[in-house]
Amino acid sequence: MKNRLILIITLLFSIIGTCKLQAAPGNDECYNCHENLDGKVQAPAAAFKTDVHHLAGISCSGCHGGDSKNGDMESAMDKKKGFLGIPQVKTRYMVCVKCHSDKKTMQSFGFKGGTEQFEKLKESVHFKPSYNNQGPIADCITCHGAHGIAKVKDPKSKVSPLNVVALCGGCHSNATFMKQYNPGIPVDQVIKYRTSVHGEKNAKGDANTAQCVSCHSNHGIYSVKDPRSTVYNKNIAKTCSGCHSNSVLMAKYNIPSDQYEKYKTSVHGKALLEKGDAGAPSCNGCHGNHGATPPGVETISKVCGTCHAFNMELFEKSVHKNAFASRSLPECETCHGNHGIQPVTDEFLGTGEKSACIKCHHSGDKGFIVAAEMKQLMDTLGMQRKSANEYLDKAEQLGMDVSDEKYSFQKLKQILIKTKTSVHSSELDKFKNELNPGIEIVNDAEISGRKAIENYYFRRKGLAVASILVTFLVVLLYIKLKRIERKDNAK
Amino acid sequence: MNDETKKGKTRREFLNDVLIGGFGAWMMAILYPVISYLDPPKSKEVKVSQVNIGKSSEIEKNSGKIIRFGEKPVLVIKKNNGEYSAFMAECTHLNCTVQYRKDLGLIYCACHNGKYDLNGKVVSGPPPAPLQKYEVALKGDEVIVYKGEG
Amino acid sequence: MSKEKLHSSSTETGKADSAINKWLDDRFQLAALREFAKHKSVPKFRETIWYYFGGIALLLFLVQVCTGILLVMYYKGTEDSAFESVRFIDAKVNFGWLIRSIHSWSANLMILAIFIHMFSIYFLKSFRKPRELTWYTGIGLLFVTMAFGFSGYLLPWNELAYFATKVGTDITGQVPVVGKFMLTLMRGGADVTGATLSRFFGIHVALFPGIFAIFLMLHLLFIQRQGMSEPEEWAKLDPKEKKTIPFFPNFMLRELLIWLIVINILAVLAVYFPWELGKKADAFASAPQGIKPEWYFLFMFQILKYIPGKVWLFDGEVLGVLFFGVGIGLWVLVPFWDSKIKSGHRNKILTYIGIGIVVFMITFTTIAWIAG
Repeated sequence: MKNRLILIITLLFSIIGTCKLQAAPGNDECYNCHENLDGKVQAPAAAFKTDVHHLAGISCSGCHGGDSKNGDMESAMDKKKGFLGIPQVKTRYMVCVKCHSDKKTMQSFGFKGGTEQFEKLKESVHFKPSYNNQGPIADCITCHGAHGIAKVKDPKSKVSPLNVVALCGGCHSNATFMKQYNPGIPVDQVIKYRTSVHGEKNAKGDANTAQCVSCHSNHGIYSVKDPRSTVYNKNIAKTCSGCHSNSVLMAKYNIPSDQYEKYKTSVHGKALLEKGDAGAPSCNGCHGNHGATPPGVETISKVCGTCHAFNMELFEKSVHKNAFASRSLPECETCHGNHGIQPVTDEFLGTGEKSACIKCHHSGDKGFIVAAEMKQLMDTLGMQRKSANEYLDKAEQLGMDVSDEKYSFQKLKQILIKTKTSVHSSELDKFKNELNPGIEIVNDAEISGRKAIENYYFRRKGLAVASILVTFLVVLLYIKLKRIERKDNAK
Repeated sequence: MNDETKKGKTRREFLNDVLIGGFGAWMMAILYPVISYLDPPKSKEVKVSQVNIGKSSEIEKNSGKIIRFGEKPVLVIKKNNGEYSAFMAECTHLNCTVQYRKDLGLIYCACHNGKYDLNGKVVSGPPPAPLQKYEVALKGDEVIVYKGEG
Repeated sequence: MSKEKLHSSSTETGKADSAINKWLDDRFQLAALREFAKHKSVPKFRETIWYYFGGIALLLFLVQVCTGILLVMYYKGTEDSAFESVRFIDAKVNFGWLIRSIHSWSANLMILAIFIHMFSIYFLKSFRKPRELTWYTGIGLLFVTMAFGFSGYLLPWNELAYFATKVGTDITGQVPVVGKFMLTLMRGGADVTGATLSRFFGIHVALFPGIFAIFLMLHLLFIQRQGMSEPEEWAKLDPKEKKTIPFFPNFMLRELLIWLIVINILAVLAVYFPWELGKKADAFASAPQGIKPEWYFLFMFQILKYIPGKVWLFDGEVLGVLFFGVGIGLWVLVPFWDSKIKSGHRNKILTYIGIGIVVFMITFTTIAWIAG
C-alpha cells in the first residue's frame, strides 16, 4: 500500500514537474479562455476568480497541468505537456500536497502557516479508504472545495467558523451516508450543537465560540477511542480548557476561567487524569458534549445521579429536595461544589467549621440536631474502629491469628460508603440502619482482639501451672526412685 | 512390726497417694485441652432478617419450596389461591425436614408420617407442637420471607 | 504409663486388686510375664544415659498418634481447604494451636531422638550379632519417620511446604531408571497439585502408621526376646562388678521421669514457639526466598547445591542422589561389613567413621541453616 503510494507520488511529480507555476493573473490563457466560455466549462473559471490561489497568481495548470501560456487550445491541453484534465478522485489530493506540504514553495508565496496538514490527514479517520474504494473518505477538496477556495478566516470559506458546522454536517448529519461506515454512529451532533450555548452563539454569527474543529481539530481527526484524539476522555478537559482557561476570551462572556485548574484537583479530575479511571467524568460528563450547556439548577441531581444513583434517589425523597428548590439552591452543588469537587470527609457532616450542614442550619433547629447526632455516631464508629484495630494489632504482634477479624474490616469499607450515602436521606433512622452493622463488626473485632490477647496470657499461665505440676511430680518420682533403690541395695 | 517400719510404711503410702493424686491432676491437665479441643467452635450465625426467594410469577400454585433462611430451612408454600405461607421446615418431632404434599394439600414429614395443615397445626402423627410460622410479603412481584414479630 | 500403674497397684495389693490379678492370672498366666519383667535389667555404666532415647522416641511417637488423631478431626485434605482448615485449627478450635504445635514439634524431636538413638547404638556397637535385625527394623523406623515428616510437611499446604515438596520430589525424579515413575507416583501427576496433597494425606495418616506399627512391633519384640545389649567394655567386666538396673520399676520410673520432662518441653515449645503457618501455597506464584526442607534433610539439600551441574559425563544431581544412595546403603548395611573387618581395629575404625559422619552432617546442616 505504502509502496504504491510512493510510486504514485513519484509518477505524479515526474508528470507535473516541480512547482514553477507562478504567473501574473492576466497571463493565464486557460483562465482567459474558460472565463469566456459558457456553462459547465465556464463555472470553474468563474469560481476561480476569487480563489486564493488565483489571487496568488497560480494558474489552472498549477493543478490541471498543461501549458497555461499557450493560447492554442490543442497544444495547451496536450497530454504530452502534462495536461491532467479533471484529477482522479483517488489521487487528487496530490495536487494540493505537492505545494502545501512543501515549506519552500509555501514560503515563496509568503505563506507563514504550517505545512503539516497532509501528514495529519494521512493518519486521521477521514483518510481511510471510502466504502467503494474510490479514494479516501474525505480529502482536501471534500472540505476546502476546488475552485472557490478562500482563506479559513474569510467568511466565504467553507471551513470558516460560521460555515464549518454545515460543512461537517453535510456528511455527519446524513444517516444514510454515515451508516456506510458505522451503523451505530450518531448523526444528531449538529442538532444538539444548535441547542448548545456554543451553537446558539455561532448561529448568531459569533465566530469565537466553539464549533466542530475547535474540539475535534481539523486535519488530524481521530476516533474518540484513540488516545491521540483531542476528544479522548483524558484529553477533553485540556481541549475545553484551550478556550475556557483563556481569561481574556472568557471575560467577554462574563464567565470564569478557572474551571480546568479546579477540575484537575477535584476527585473526578484526579480519578480520570491520574488514576486513569475511565468511568470518572470529564467536562462533557456533566455538561454534555455537542449540546454543551451548564446543567440547570433543578436538574443537577439528575446529572450527578447518572453515576451517583443512590445518592440521587435518597436526596429526591428527602426533605431537602423541596427545601432546596424553594430557595433555588443547586441541589448537589450546594454542598459539594462543582468543578473543584473534593472527596467527602467526615468533617463535612455535623456542626463543625467545615460542615456543609451549617450553611443553612443553625443551632437548635432540627437539621442541626440530626447533623450533630449523625456526626457523633460516625465519630463513635471511627473511634471504636481505631480501638479495635489497636487490640487486633497487639494480638497480631503477640503472634495470635486474628486475620479473620482483620478481614471483617473489609466489609467496613462498604458499610461506610453506604452510611455516607444514607446521609442524603437526611433521616437519622436510615443512617443508623446503615451504620449499625459497622458498629457491630467493630465491636466483635474488638472482643476477638481482647480475647486473643487474653488467650495469649492464658497460654503462658496454663503452661506455668502444668510446669509446676510436672516439677512436683518429677521430684516425687525421684524420691520414690531413691527409696526403691535404697531398698534394693539393702537387699 | 515395729514403729520404725510402720512409720516408713505410712510415709511410703503417703508418697504413693500423692504420686497418684499428682498423676491424676496431670492427666486432667492433659485431658482438659483435649476435651475442649473436641468441642467444635461455634461458627457465628449469620443474621438474616429476610430472604428474597424470587418472582411470584415464576412460582407454581399448589407447590412448596424449601429455602435457606440463615442456618435454617424454611418451607414456603404457594396455595391454590395464590396466597403464601411459610414455616420453619424442621419437624417439631425429631427435626426432620418437612415437605409440602400436593396430593394431600398438607405439610408432611417423611420420617414418622407427621402431618401439619397449612397453618402449621398438627393434623396427625407424632409431632408435639405446631410448626413455627414465618411471614411472607410481596414487594412488587418479588416474594420476600421474613421472621414475624415474636 | 499403664504398665507403671499396673506395677504400683500390684505393690499396693489391695483386696480388690488381688481379685482382679487373680482373675487376669487365671486367664492370661500373668505370672510368667511378671517373672520375665522381674529379670529384665539394663546394664549400668557411664553410657546408660543413651538407653533412654529409644524410649523417648517411642513416647514422641505416641504423642504423634494422639495429636495426629485429634488433628484429623478438623483437617481437610484438599487443595482448596487444607490451608484454611489448618488456620481454623490454629485460630478457632479450642487449644487447636497447642495440638498442632505439639504435633509439629514432637515430629521434629522424634526424628532427633531417633538419630541420637541410632548413633548411640552405632557407637556402642549394639547392632552386632545377634541384633542385626533389630538394627534393620530400627533403620526401617527411621526411614518411615522421615517419610512421615516429608509427607506431613506438605499437609498445611503453605508456600514453603509446597515448594519444599516440589524440590524434594524433584530430587526423587533424579534417581536413574525408576526416578520418573517414582516422581509421578509421589506427585500423583506431573506436578505438585491437589492430587499430591491427597496422596500425601492418605499415606501420612493410613499407610505410614501401619508400616510403622509393624516395624515397631518387630523392633520391640526383638529387644524383649534378646534383652538389653551389653556393650563390650561392660561385658568384659568381672561378673561381680557388672552392675544392672532392674527394668521394672527402676529403669521404667526413670524413663517415666524423662517422659514427663519431654512432654513439658513440648508444651513450652508449643507455647513460646508456636509453629508458623505462613502463606497459602500458590502454584503460580514464584518460589519464595529461603525455601528449604525440614532440618533433617538440610545437609543433603546443602550438598546437592555444591555439586556442579555437570560432572564429567554425568548429571550433577543424579550423581548426588547416587552418592547419598550408596552412602545410606553402606550405613544401613553396617552389621554386614562390620563383621568382615579384622577384629582389633574394628572399634576404632567404626568409631572414626561414625564421628566423621556426625561431623559431616552437623557441618552441612549448620551451613545450610546459616545460609538461610
